Amino acid sequence: MTNMMHTPTPNSGTRPIELGFALVDERELAAFARHDRLTRDDYLDQLGEARDCVTLPDDAEPTHFFLGSEFCEHLLPSVEAVDRAVALCERWGLTFGLVTPIACDGLFDPLRAALQRLPAGSEVTVNDWGVARLVQREFPALRPVAGRLLGKMLKDPRLPSATWARMYPNGLRAGPFRDILDGLGIGRLELDFPPFGAADMYAGIDFPVGVRAPYGYIAKGRICKLGSLSLDTPEKFSPGHKCRRECLGFNEVGARPGTHELPTSQRGNTMYYRHAQGMAAAVAEAVNNGWVSRIVLSGA
Amino acid sequence: MKITAPISTPAEVEPLVRAGARELYCGVVPPDWIQRFNTSGVNRRVFGNLNGYADLERVVEKATGLDAEVFLVLNAQQYGEQHLDALTEIGARFRSIGGKAAIVADISLIASLAANVPDLDIHVSSVATCRNVESARFFAALGANRIILPRDVTVAEIAAITTELPELDIEAFVLNDGCVFEEGTCHTVHLPMNKGGPICIDNYQFEYQATGGGQPQERALRRLEQNDLDYKRWLWYRFGNGFTSAPNGYPWGPCGVCAMPAMHAAGVHSVKIAGREGASERKIKSVELVARVLERIEAGEPADEVRKFAVGLRDAPSHCASGYMCYYPEVRSRHELGDTEGKLLTAV
Repeated sequence: MTNMMHTPTPNSGTRPIELGFALVDERELAAFARHDRLTRDDYLDQLGEARDCVTLPDDAEPTHFFLGSEFCEHLLPSVEAVDRAVALCERWGLTFGLVTPIACDGLFDPLRAALQRLPAGSEVTVNDWGVARLVQREFPALRPVAGRLLGKMLKDPRLPSATWARMYPNGLRAGPFRDILDGLGIGRLELDFPPFGAADMYAGIDFPVGVRAPYGYIAKGRICKLGSLSLDTPEKFSPGHKCRRECLGFNEVGARPGTHELPTSQRGNTMYYRHAQGMAAAVAEAVNNGWVSRIVLSGA
Repeated sequence: MKITAPISTPAEVEPLVRAGARELYCGVVPPDWIQRFNTSGVNRRVFGNLNGYADLERVVEKATGLDAEVFLVLNAQQYGEQHLDALTEIGARFRSIGGKAAIVADISLIASLAANVPDLDIHVSSVATCRNVESARFFAALGANRIILPRDVTVAEIAAITTELPELDIEAFVLNDGCVFEEGTCHTVHLPMNKGGPICIDNYQFEYQATGGGQPQERALRRLEQNDLDYKRWLWYRFGNGFTSAPNGYPWGPCGVCAMPAMHAAGVHSVKIAGREGASERKIKSVELVARVLERIEAGEPADEVRKFAVGLRDAPSHCASGYMCYYPEVRSRHELGDTEGKLLTAV
């Protein structure tokens, strides 16, 4: 493992916030293609009523556009969709990013095919150490970003208090973690903002930090209830089968009866919470202080 | 192929080894840890740990005397940077009393142990969600000797990793615990049951929405509701058939004994029995069950015969027939399709 010196990014509080939008369903590219340029309202409109749970600086305008899923090997975009998204980003003057999940071995060839379509300087959000190695070794012109599956922290929205949330602190400032990311050529972290998170919770991290908003993920599995909809018993609820991407058509929303916890949903194999307005304010404060340099808007 | 079994008290060492386990894993919360860090989070489980270092020494001594190895679980998904030195000291102390390996998920701790306790083996916990060859190479480069694969992999995926990386020991789940989400990407705690328990069996009341809002069409809704019923049934199996055992004492719940012939053929080093928090009797019966299957494999019995024997062990083949009790359901499916030699299972 190469142990490179890492140069901390200067306080980004004086620079405009980077603003990205992350799209999972490649079919929705068609709607974006109608825009000659993208504005923050175009991004916020994609969130529906959840846009009320986001607070952005006045000067925040789109800088990045992402396609792909962090959570499912079945949702890797086709090379045609990657080509279309790259072309749109060139037209809009935005940086493109391909988002990739934890991978099984069968995903590596499709991944290579997708990565080959990316122009130099494109970002790749990696959520699997093996994928990070692949990008470093075979695609050195791309810029890997550590996705939120690699930045581990407690995010259980059911916890009754901040005291519970402190039980398992994150290790984002640990020296070995920084060295390993350096060794893989990873220069940026993308994270969730957890329940009970404080504005300064990402202060002092040696990497520029992006936060996904207004949804954080709680847990993801490889077993997918919704992805088993078209399967017969006993193939249901098992790994390694084909998927008809039912999660792109349906979402489950709800709560635990008798609680006033964060709105929760399940999309395919993943559970999410939605930020409360207080959390949005904390993220905005983190942006103002330069502790968070990018917000990536994404749905659940 | 070895059997790896959980222990939570020194008294379990001898019966588990006698039953067939050659590898034992355990956790410990050192007495000063809670005082120092105000948490009992030394590993992934709050309960099921040894009482302290004295018990840990007894476990290692007893196991060594019975020619078994002991692994220490330090497998929280993540630790704060303030924990690393203390955890590394625990690893060094464990090694000094004869412990063989630490089971670790956090990459910073893996790197710290590799650098500071080089003669302590490192087993990458299933919590690290390592399930491809490149990822296994990454952990090997950090200093890992063994990869414990997460629960939801296929036998073909296991075989691909064992084939590509013969220098690494590969361990795969064979019995008991049944998380729904991948442990390494589940950022929750198991709450006390009166507060909800594990999130995957908590009392969430979800309703389906179509993308873009609104209810799904009636026909789709009926299919979704039927799928939900199937899922509840699967959950019941996933959580140990309602946390019960068969009349002969063998445990119900997620099981991969039918896949053991294929795993053995693929070169899997160890099969893991989960459940440190379980009762001693359940652990012993679990090892007995797996050992009886392993004996036949090692005696050279054909895979098809071994599978039939395995299905009959708990005398309730209908549970096996459901397909919902399997870690590796493809073994059952393909077996029924006539792939009695298991060729498909080891295809890379």
